[in-house]
Amino acid sequence: MNLPISSGRLTDPTIGMPQFRQSVITLDGVKKTFSSPGAEPIEVIEDITLDIKQEEFVSIVGPSGCGKSTMFNIIASLLEPSDGSITLQGSDPNCGARIGYMLQRDLLFPWRTIIDNVCLGLEIQGVRKARRYEMARDQLARYGLADFADQYPHTLSGGMRQRVALIRTLITDPDLILLDEPFSALDYQTRLVLEEEIVSILKEHHKTVVLITHDIGEAIAMSDRVAVMTQRPTSVKKIYDVGLSRELGSCLKARSDARYQRFFDSIWDDLDIQIDGGAA
Amino acid sequence: MSEAKLYTHTIRAGSIKENDEQLSRNTLFTDNLWRGAGLALVIIMWQVGVSVGWINSFLMGSPVGIANEAWRLIQSGQLLNDTVATVYATVVGFLVGSILGSIAGLLLWFSRTTARIIDPFVVALNGLPKIALAPMIIIWFGSGMFSKIMLAFVATFVVALLSAYQGTHQIDRNLINLMRSLGASRREIFTKVVAPATLPWIISAFRLNIGFALIAEIGGEFISSDRGLGRMIFVAGNLFNLNVVWVGVIMLMIVAIVLYIIVSQVAKLLLPWEKGQK
Repeated sequence: MNLPISSGRLTDPTIGMPQFRQSVITLDGVKKTFSSPGAEPIEVIEDITLDIKQEEFVSIVGPSGCGKSTMFNIIASLLEPSDGSITLQGSDPNCGARIGYMLQRDLLFPWRTIIDNVCLGLEIQGVRKARRYEMARDQLARYGLADFADQYPHTLSGGMRQRVALIRTLITDPDLILLDEPFSALDYQTRLVLEEEIVSILKEHHKTVVLITHDIGEAIAMSDRVAVMTQRPTSVKKIYDVGLSRELGSCLKARSDARYQRFFDSIWDDLDIQIDGGAA
Repeated sequence: MSEAKLYTHTIRAGSIKENDEQLSRNTLFTDNLWRGAGLALVIIMWQVGVSVGWINSFLMGSPVGIANEAWRLIQSGQLLNDTVATVYATVVGFLVGSILGSIAGLLLWFSRTTARIIDPFVVALNGLPKIALAPMIIIWFGSGMFSKIMLAFVATFVVALLSAYQGTHQIDRNLINLMRSLGASRREIFTKVVAPATLPWIISAFRLNIGFALIAEIGGEFISSDRGLGRMIFVAGNLFNLNVVWVGVIMLMIVAIVLYIIVSQVAKLLLPWEKGQK
């Protein structure tokens, strides 16, 4: 069984990714230790070294409790690494690349209507009201949400709210999109549909994506590459060149491909998940 | 094997009655019927008890006596004058205290240091029964309307401040992070997240504050005043005119209910997104 494993760089030409693209985000020896006075410092991230190129879809999969939210906050530039560096390259003169993100919870503001939620980023960027409404209506119509523009979020279903959250993220045109278990609160069918939708939308917009998840299947179905993390203090254990959805053109097809199960089994082994407190 | 008995229970379509909405409407109607009947019963028994001589009307008043006094006070215009005076002082003190308190509480979000330093003072003031300040406030501001406004203000300010400040602490960290990642300034985070997210807390402080404002205002009138429902009750009580005391008390109840309903309606207008939310 030979699964393509790489060392953090794109090497496999069969997955159809153009070579020598520019890096969007480079994590180099990123380390994070939390210390509070009077307590033992907690090392959450030991070492993450990862290079993510333009238009790539990379998933980070780790066992639960491996410090996923810390990784998320570091990649989203909300938290500083204790050691190592992160380099962002993109359209923003101040911080390199602009990052948009989407979480498990949609984080729509309950006091804003759908259209005002979508406009949030544009509003902060100072886009004029008429212009941003036009843009937002455009996008909402495109994803079949035009009728809900003036409703409040609580009237929408979980799947629809996640779509709105995605539009809100995309409308500001960020260089990197960071997804943190965006589907885990949804039912299985909605999840499969949204997976498909999001991958095609993001490809269409030529977006670079990092997905942080504990769902191995989701990672394999959507990604070009999957980075498997170790237990805490976490580091990159292996990187798989998957690329099934890119090659086959669909996440559902990727899920029914013979290689899907092989990747799944292999990643499952890597995660070394122990059932019943280690008495395996 | 022991002998087992087999039970059967079949649920047919329509055998479980109701439609929740239907139920609640019917319930409301019958509830009101019972309330009205209960109240009427108490009033009738009271009046009968007074007529038969079981109840001392000098100490308890009587429904007929209360109605007569009410009619007299309405005709002379005194009830209206006193009600207006009390409502005016209460509402002005309540509005100014609640609004300024809420704003102060919200602004504390900007400075954790200030909040930390003043925290024990705010807690101490909050624990103090504000009516204890009434003699002082009346000495400073006289026995007219203004001292009552000040009392209502003092009674509501700290509650509103604490509630708004606590509200700013309950905000989902993720919403603020989202704003940061979009490049929002602190001021934008305040106006677009902190203020609207705290609004439900502010509104609930407003609801509480109606009661606090009334307590302080009436307490102030008891101590020294030239008009108002509190004065009317106090003076009548001293003269053992229990029927007038009852008129004042009932009028105060009506005022409290009306003010509460107004605040609830305004709250609905200010929180349109909470409509229909569980």
